[in-house]
Amino acid sequence: MILDLHSHSIVSDDGRAKVENYCQWIRRKELPLDGFVLTEHRLFDDQSDYRALEDEFGLLILKASEVETDYGHVLVFGVNEDLQATLDFSRVDLSLVQVMEETARCGAVAVPCHPGRVRVGMCAHIENRGSVENVRIVETLNGGSRRDENEAALALARGNDYYRTGGSDSHIVSHIGRCATRFRSDITSMDGLMAELIAGRCEAVALENEEWKSQN
Amino acid sequence: MEVSELKEKWTGWTFDEVQFEIEAEALSEFSLACGETVPRYTDPKDPNFQAAPSYTARFHGRRQLPEGFPVDLATSFDGGKSVEWKAPVRPGDRLVARSHIHDIFEKTGRSGGMMFIVHRMEFFNQDEQLVAVVDWKMIQKLK
Repeated sequence: MILDLHSHSIVSDDGRAKVENYCQWIRRKELPLDGFVLTEHRLFDDQSDYRALEDEFGLLILKASEVETDYGHVLVFGVNEDLQATLDFSRVDLSLVQVMEETARCGAVAVPCHPGRVRVGMCAHIENRGSVENVRIVETLNGGSRRDENEAALALARGNDYYRTGGSDSHIVSHIGRCATRFRSDITSMDGLMAELIAGRCEAVALENEEWKSQN
Repeated sequence: MEVSELKEKWTGWTFDEVQFEIEAEALSEFSLACGETVPRYTDPKDPNFQAAPSYTARFHGRRQLPEGFPVDLATSFDGGKSVEWKAPVRPGDRLVARSHIHDIFEKTGRSGGMMFIVHRMEFFNQDEQLVAVVDWKMIQKLK
């Protein structure tokens, strides 16, 4: 099963894509994608209901968040009321240590994203301030990152035995599915997604010539 | 001042109000300049002649920001506009545009921290019907 684990809709301040248009694009372009996760910037969208679109297009659509920390941006899967009460998602200076601790305590999963990017990625901060415990998974393929940034992310993951994910980081319709994550099992819910991530049964893949290529 | 303090102090209240008279010739010229070809936007003789949906984005108020708003123009740049069309604007309409700061928020990117100031102009016609909402983002680079 292939899911794009990093995408933004118009709910994000800089998102230009409607979720319905993502679905239409995936089907019209016959992208080999089974679904995607909306990771809106600095908030969790608990208003939107995409079940009708899931049924119409046969896609899994899940909701998560992208928060901003002192070690860069972090995807948070499994956002719940406890976590929202603990962390102010709107802040740009959250502590990564706290995000890792609180997500674990609240039964969510945190994945530092585009770690190879300057300022908003984890690598540069590790060089300056040391590594952070409890990180188990990082996004090593990001559709908005440069090649060298994804290579730095991969090196980070290899050096620390982190599990790896991929996502397009799409903000416009035509970027959905540029990168994604392949899972061994079928996933039908956020709980299922988190279980696979925690178990490390995932790999980052990029779409090249209409085929998924593993990141090596 | 913290962004949260700025937001609390400066958002949500009208700081400017201006009026605009809508003329057929200006509507047509704007549409043609945008490359529009649909007659209802370009031909004043069309029975459904009206402004192109983005027409209200051309207007400016008397002030860009409330008096005394602490912005550093030396580190600021234009973040673009978005227009939400609500109802047709037609020749002879008298529009009132009211401006307020809709939102102020921070984000971080490759170039560092940025503060976004969202200036919102709401356009009402002579019947007080909301016809368009124009959001203009100003971005200020943070140190």
